[in-house]
Amino acid sequence: MEILRDYGLIFISFVLSMIYAIEPLFMSKLVDINKRDDHNSLKRKKVMIYRQIKELEMEHDIGNINDKDFAKMRDELKKEVSELISQIKSK
Amino acid sequence: MTPIAGGVALSLAFGFGLLAVLTLLFYNKYQDQRLFLVGQRLALGVSFFIFLATFILSYQLIISNFDVDYVARYTSIETPTIYKISALWAGQSGSLLFWLFILSIFSTITILQNQHKHHELMPWVIISLTVTQIFFLILTNYVTNPFQPTEADFIVANGNGLNPLLQNITMAIHPPTLYLGYVGFSVPFAFAFSALVNRDTSPLWIQSIRRWTLVAWLFLSMGIILGGWWAYQELGWGGYWAWDPVENASFMPWLTATAFIHSIIIQEKKDMLRLWNMALIILTFTLCIFGTFLTRSGVMSSVHSFTESSLGPIFLFFVFFIMIVSFGIMYTRLDVLKSPRKIESFTSRESGFLFNNMVFVVLCFAVFWGTLFPVISEAVRGTKITVGAPFFNQINTPIGLILLALTGIGPLLAWRRTGSKSLIRNFTFPLVMCVIAVILFFLVGFKGYVVVSFSLCVFVTSAIMTEFYKGIRARKNKFNESLHLALMKIVSKNRSRYGGYIVHLGIVLMFIGFTGHAFDREKEFSLQVGQVDHVAGYEFELLKLTESERPNHYAWISELKVTDHQGTFITNLYPEKRVYFHRNPDINRRQPHSELDIYSTLNKDIYSIFSSIDNDNKTAFLKIMVNPLVRWVWVGGYILVFGTLIALWPRKEK
Repeated sequence: MEILRDYGLIFISFVLSMIYAIEPLFMSKLVDINKRDDHNSLKRKKVMIYRQIKELEMEHDIGNINDKDFAKMRDELKKEVSELISQIKSK
Repeated sequence: MTPIAGGVALSLAFGFGLLAVLTLLFYNKYQDQRLFLVGQRLALGVSFFIFLATFILSYQLIISNFDVDYVARYTSIETPTIYKISALWAGQSGSLLFWLFILSIFSTITILQNQHKHHELMPWVIISLTVTQIFFLILTNYVTNPFQPTEADFIVANGNGLNPLLQNITMAIHPPTLYLGYVGFSVPFAFAFSALVNRDTSPLWIQSIRRWTLVAWLFLSMGIILGGWWAYQELGWGGYWAWDPVENASFMPWLTATAFIHSIIIQEKKDMLRLWNMALIILTFTLCIFGTFLTRSGVMSSVHSFTESSLGPIFLFFVFFIMIVSFGIMYTRLDVLKSPRKIESFTSRESGFLFNNMVFVVLCFAVFWGTLFPVISEAVRGTKITVGAPFFNQINTPIGLILLALTGIGPLLAWRRTGSKSLIRNFTFPLVMCVIAVILFFLVGFKGYVVVSFSLCVFVTSAIMTEFYKGIRARKNKFNESLHLALMKIVSKNRSRYGGYIVHLGIVLMFIGFTGHAFDREKEFSLQVGQVDHVAGYEFELLKLTESERPNHYAWISELKVTDHQGTFITNLYPEKRVYFHRNPDINRRQPHSELDIYSTLNKDIYSIFSSIDNDNKTAFLKIMVNPLVRWVWVGGYILVFGTLIALWPRKEK
């Protein structure tokens, strides 16, 4: 009896898992997730560069980067972030 | 549930795994989003059936169903419940299922966490994770099935019982922690592999895996430290690290992973070392599988290896499969792996990190060579040449000290380049402190590596303090904050940086503990009640010798009174001589075991071992060791964990 019950439970688990797995095949249309993904990636990249600017400022404050290098690196990051913002706006 | 259901669940997991990989390969070809969703859900199904199988085996262990061979072999009626559960990873097939169980947890988290992220990467991430699951499912389904019924010739009336060495609470925690580390690297590897296939070199996925890598690294570190703690508490040889093959198996991926954690900072910030990072994470994951191979194959004899089998060739095949496929794809992607930027100066943080990476890899190679040399020598010359701890200590001590020095040098270097003025300003305090330390240690009478190690510990601590001081001063000047607030702010706003420094501080404390080994003292002697003996300035008097029968063993307990050279009472120690399975009529199945007692302080440990007993003359044969500074290793371990948790703590995004 116990074996039968266990086989029954396993069979039900199998059927439910299969239904759950193949369910998307019966969907007619799906949103283009890659497009949404691109947008999110740009946003995350923007956050990352903001974070890098903050870290750079801290390195400069504690004297680990000289003024010349700091200005150059910050300009590079600012340029990068402004390009990203325009890309995000255009989408 | 019955064990048969467990076997079926494992078979279904295998089937779902194959279907998931096939579906995702079709998705890569036809780019139909529905196929991606099906593949993703099938992969979740694999994990579900593995969870089910693990639950069923755990249940069989708890109810002591000796119809299952694994349960009969690794538990007995007397085994306490906690060790019945920990028996899940005590034997070969159970531990492989446990590997799968952890991998399934990680795989499920990765899939659910990235449902709306990394859509280009996720198909290959899932394929990579599922292929690893399939490999372990082949092993658990067809090579060493944990649900196999008990063999007819195997005595199962009371169960064989768990190895006494494993009946220790640390041993109930150590393997899962180590496995969490080993298996955790599957995720960063899967992302790296997928990025390779997709030619994606953006720093975004690096950022995603940084957290996973730190989590895996934390668990691997904790696993290694707990392993050392267990060896120290249980094995009775007075040490915590013996360069044993299984210890080395966990240490090698730790070394490459530590290198990786440092070098991805460079890729994240400077977009450099793309190729190097890729190689490091492939190597780390391969070494994790290789470590499992060393532990499970029985190819190396080790005090930590509790299983022996013929799994070696299959594991070796998988190790080569990962390396050939990963490095093969890496070779075809060399064009995108070339970093656009180059290191500008030798005195830059980038070059410091790169140098530290190289030393880590050299150290890993030294450990790898020493570990495998006995096998290689046997294969080539027919004689097994054993490589012991002296070889490893001779080679690795100087390399370790170079790494310790770099731990201090790295943070003092600036990004891009460090000007001569900055160099002088940053290095003055740590170097002055180091020179003072050298002079003081020589005056005290220390020599050689002891002086180098202790002085470098002073240098690195000073360097870390300098970094904290500079950060606090900058905040105080800018925001006029109090010292306490400035300290809290610099740490909370730069968690990975200051968390890292705290980890470095933990490493320094551990080095202090390692160096204490140079002052170890030991003596073996026998005592009858009332007699005394002396070791390293301490007096040991045997006060009592008692006997006790406990549920799963019989014990002889000695009571030792410890006093110092002035006669001041220090402590009483109670080392025991035990016999496990003492009720077993078959004398060969009874297992003797020495349960230690340790008096531990920051200064030194007094380590007592009850080696054997002469019942006729009521004489206890004892071994006493006085081990200075061992506790610093464990304190360093706590600080390492604390620092990593700070680095891992999520930051608030504004």
